[in-house]
Amino acid sequence: MNYHEKEMRVTYALTLNELIERNPNVLCLEADLSKADATIPEVSTKNPRNFINCGVQEANMIGVAAGLAKEGKIPFCASFTAFATRRVYDQITISVAYANNNVKIVGNSPGITQGPNGGTHMCFQDLAIMRAMPNLHVYSPADANELRAVMFHMADHHQPTYMQLVRPKMPKLFDENCRFDPQSAVRLHEGADVTLVATGFMTRFALDAARELSAEGLMVDLLHYPSVKPFDAQALIDSARRTGAVVTVENQNIIGGLGSAACEVLSEQHPVRVKRLGIPDQFGEVADQDYLFNKHGFGPQHIAKACRELVRANT
Amino acid sequence: MEQQQISREQWDTLAREFRYVVTDAICRSGSGHIGGVMSLVEIVITLYYRVMRIRPEEPTWPERDRLVLSKGHAGPILYTALAYKGFFPKAWLATVNQNGTRLPSHMDQILTPGVEMTAGSLGQGLSAACGMALAAKLDGKSHRVFCIIGDGESDEGQIWEAAMFAGHRRLDNLIVICDYNKMQIDGTTQEILNLEPLADKWRAFGWEVFEIDGHDWDAIYDGLAQADAVTGKPAMIIAHTIKGKGNRETENRVDCHNVKVPDEATYGRIMCGLECKMDLPY
Repeated sequence: MNYHEKEMRVTYALTLNELIERNPNVLCLEADLSKADATIPEVSTKNPRNFINCGVQEANMIGVAAGLAKEGKIPFCASFTAFATRRVYDQITISVAYANNNVKIVGNSPGITQGPNGGTHMCFQDLAIMRAMPNLHVYSPADANELRAVMFHMADHHQPTYMQLVRPKMPKLFDENCRFDPQSAVRLHEGADVTLVATGFMTRFALDAARELSAEGLMVDLLHYPSVKPFDAQALIDSARRTGAVVTVENQNIIGGLGSAACEVLSEQHPVRVKRLGIPDQFGEVADQDYLFNKHGFGPQHIAKACRELVRANT
Repeated sequence: MEQQQISREQWDTLAREFRYVVTDAICRSGSGHIGGVMSLVEIVITLYYRVMRIRPEEPTWPERDRLVLSKGHAGPILYTALAYKGFFPKAWLATVNQNGTRLPSHMDQILTPGVEMTAGSLGQGLSAACGMALAAKLDGKSHRVFCIIGDGESDEGQIWEAAMFAGHRRLDNLIVICDYNKMQIDGTTQEILNLEPLADKWRAFGWEVFEIDGHDWDAIYDGLAQADAVTGKPAMIIAHTIKGKGNRETENRVDCHNVKVPDEATYGRIMCGLECKMDLPY
């Protein structure tokens, strides 16, 4: 696969600069992880007035952002996923979602991509807990071009939002003019044998699996969900009607996240067999991607295997 | 500061009326946070009648002064002031905390005209007030942001995060009042989690600190005027107050934080404790 030249985090920072130049009310808030988010030096030097480093105080950052948003600002608040979500869940609940203050929360390095920081930093439940929050949208773009489109959408809509930000370079999945619609899943591979549902970091691996299976003659209908909430139920139901089998894969605990969203829709509207891949209700650990894929069984080869098994079980 | 020429006796009369109305409004719902409401009566009246620049007919007037009531459980006293100033009909006060109300026990910026920030989970309002003050700085605006926090609320770590943030950013358009009634739900602040030396703490965080009698009209007004004149740093007014003030059934009693009013007899006893009788405006 062709990779983007820039890391996702660099695209995050460059896009923030674009957004600020378009609308000076856009602000970049940080809690002492600006270098991890690449906003130092990108935003801090080009738009110092719009760059607010709160120090290591995520709770206050969310509250300050709520106050700024109440006054018409559009704050993007970034930290590692664990600190951007579970650490400040009540602040997001009351000051942002319940109050409908237009705050954008960005969780850097989701799931296993925290690698060397290990179990304390690996957040496997952010999609689940943020999805369970009324009045909050939850996005997880899969490549740099989609990330940029998602951020433009966020800046242009009054909507409290959480977005996962994958940090490294990612393969090119979308072109520069790609569009983002939170109501729509994106079909990245067409097939009628099995439906594969993915989001964010895992979408590229799902595509790897779909291509591998295609060479075997097993055709995968791959639906990428840049928005986990709202969740495009119709696309999934339509696909499941054709395939009768659904595999979900996420860089998360399989409880509560993307797989659960798919199961909620299917169990109520079109029951079919579903296999959920991801972290089987465990904490993280210091380890690299392949080790954790193999340990928990959700890398590309595991995705392909789950698809084969589900198709076989259905015939 | 805008001064209204009203005598001390007239202010006392208004405070008595506020206490009577807010106690009735709370008791009608069956229970409520009478203690921390009564300790704020003089402060809220002074803010809304003498200090804050507001336009009740235009609640979102951009140049208005903002008040964030971070101790969101004191909502009913703010509702009383907002109703009396004309943000909404006084009849709404009879619906406090009842099914379908626009005046819930804790502040809700979506439901209530004049409420700037949703608050109720303690510690969060001060952070939001910092954000509002910072927004005014970024936009070069001259309005002020007031915030009322509780003493029990000051147990929250987020209060001290915000204290450090406002001090570091020199938010001199931010004036915070701590309702220091020395009591929290489970007991006195001294026995549950001692706040002292409170003034020194705020000074150490880079704030200009004033200490006043939170029931003395002149002290409140002068304290706010002095706080407004501070430049280069945020201002903290530690208001020494009495929880449940003005009602012999609640005054200075730890158990007045959330008073249950299950029946007419209890309602009558609590209203009698106010030692006055007046007509309700609804």
